[in-house]
Amino acid sequence: MFDRDIWQEIFHTLRNNKLRTFLTGFSVGWAIFILVMLLASVNGMQNGFTNQFNDDATNSIFIRPGTTAEAYGGFEAGRRIQLKNDDYEYLKSSFPKDIEYISSRYFTGTTARYKAETGSYSVQAVHPDHQIIEKTLITEGRFFNDADVQNRAKVAVLGRKVAEDLFKDEEPLGKFVEFNGLPFRVIGIFTDDGDDNAERRIYAPITTYQRIYGNTNIINQVVLTYNPTYDLTRALEFSGKLEDLMKRRHKVAPEDQAGINVWNYAEAFDNISSFTTVLSAISIGVGFLILIAGIVGIGNIMVFTIKERTKEIGVRKALGAQPKQIINLVLLESVFITAISGFIGLIFAWIILSVIGPTIDTPAFSNPSVSLSTVITATIILIVAGVLAGLIPAIKAANVKPIVALSDK
Amino acid sequence: MIEIKDLHKSYRMGSNSLHVLKGINFTAEEGELVAIMGSSGSGKSTLLNILGMLDLADSGEYTLDNVPIKDLSETKAAQYRNKFLGFIFQSFNLINYKSALENVALPLYYQKVGRKERQEKALNYLERVGLKEWATHLPSELSGGQKQRVAIARAMAAEPKVLLADEPTGALDSKTSYEVMDLIQKINDEGNTILVVTHEEDIAHMCKRIVHLKDGVIVEDKKIEQVRAQQYV
Repeated sequence: MFDRDIWQEIFHTLRNNKLRTFLTGFSVGWAIFILVMLLASVNGMQNGFTNQFNDDATNSIFIRPGTTAEAYGGFEAGRRIQLKNDDYEYLKSSFPKDIEYISSRYFTGTTARYKAETGSYSVQAVHPDHQIIEKTLITEGRFFNDADVQNRAKVAVLGRKVAEDLFKDEEPLGKFVEFNGLPFRVIGIFTDDGDDNAERRIYAPITTYQRIYGNTNIINQVVLTYNPTYDLTRALEFSGKLEDLMKRRHKVAPEDQAGINVWNYAEAFDNISSFTTVLSAISIGVGFLILIAGIVGIGNIMVFTIKERTKEIGVRKALGAQPKQIINLVLLESVFITAISGFIGLIFAWIILSVIGPTIDTPAFSNPSVSLSTVITATIILIVAGVLAGLIPAIKAANVKPIVALSDK
Repeated sequence: MIEIKDLHKSYRMGSNSLHVLKGINFTAEEGELVAIMGSSGSGKSTLLNILGMLDLADSGEYTLDNVPIKDLSETKAAQYRNKFLGFIFQSFNLINYKSALENVALPLYYQKVGRKERQEKALNYLERVGLKEWATHLPSELSGGQKQRVAIARAMAAEPKVLLADEPTGALDSKTSYEVMDLIQKINDEGNTILVVTHEEDIAHMCKRIVHLKDGVIVEDKKIEQVRAQQYV
């Protein structure tokens, strides 16, 4: 394999057939280039998805009431399901081990005013746990705590945009802002890099809002995160249990998704990871098909080369070349072309990815790149491909009969 | 050196079977220079191919230097060819992208002789055929006679038991033919066994023995007075 003479011969044939070598090598290099780019793209999509979902805790479960679609338990279809405070209390006390954080959500809107500035914003009245569930980033001040909730404190945490709109250059912390005429003290500012709209939101303690605006115990949603040590199966099992319980509690048919919807993030993640798995499988498949075209190209050229060199091979055999030496020569040549051109494709793709990749950061596509294992796999594939491409021509060459090759007719 | 007993060979040509060799008996001692003559179709090339282990006989015995040649695998045949035989072809069959020296060194390469030793030996043989100065030249830069001399050097490089020459002068004019024959005679003078297939009378008479083939059998086998090629050069 490291015989200088063999390499000399290989270089010689390649040098004498530059265009042919280039064209063949190009097909393989191109195939590897496409394969790597495809894999990197899938990787980029995966990164994009992961980034997007990381905005919320990935172990969250959302419980959302709706309108029943089926008649059940003596009730007609079309009944509106309403969650109440006791649903929250019930969940919180029933699953102390399964639930990590839990919060109710009460949605409303408000006209906020500070001095001469006014604006309309959506308000989410929630429990303190909500900060962790939503991964709300406090840049100044603090989020409200259990004491604020218990005291029905009139405090608010403003989104960055809200604070900018209302306070301009003033420091908002500690100032009072009017929500529909009632003064709330600003105790914190938050940002959300996932979403500009989220920064136009105001958080306030749920108890305060329920008391002040309607004296109600109605809540719109319950969000919670499950024990983070749970794996996917266990998480899905838990959200299934929650769904059954909540449906029973509100007399909703077990199959009725419209009545009460329990949405588990794990499910989405499961879907996405299987989605990207399918996607990478497809790109590997496509890449392989292109690579096969390249291999066939090389095989084709090698067969042609052998045909051209039939006489030479015959002479070599007459001089005592053994079949395996001939096979060696052809295989090495094939592996050499494949490996070199494949590497060029690989390096080319890698350069493009490392230059362009980090600059790409959109919600659905972020930092496409290839891992070392992909590169190693590609290398192994290349060498195997080279052997495959050379195999038939090599056997053909080994079977050359010197007597036929040497006949001058 | 060479012993052949009742050798038969036929070729299938479609539905017909062509019986080319019909029982050849032949022996050659060490140091002989034998011309095998015959018109085309007489079977002389087939005989040479079988002697050269490029083709297999249908029946009969073939012993080369006391080694029975039979049931050869491709690999074994390659080894025997490398060890026992040197070939000289009508069309030289030099490898056109290798220099004269590399061509001569090729059989040594297949004998797994080291690179340096190979080059020394090859150069030595090139010197013996008078082409030392042409060692680095490609075959395309050589004349026909020079090519055949390189080919002879190549055949000798592996130090074979027998040299087989198939119409070695067939592609050469008469002057160069005599030069090549002069070289072959000199090699023979050193004790090498050489078989020359030819259909030219003058070339045959430069050997020491003439075997006539006709329709697949030996019709005549006689020792002759050798004509030295030297006088024509």
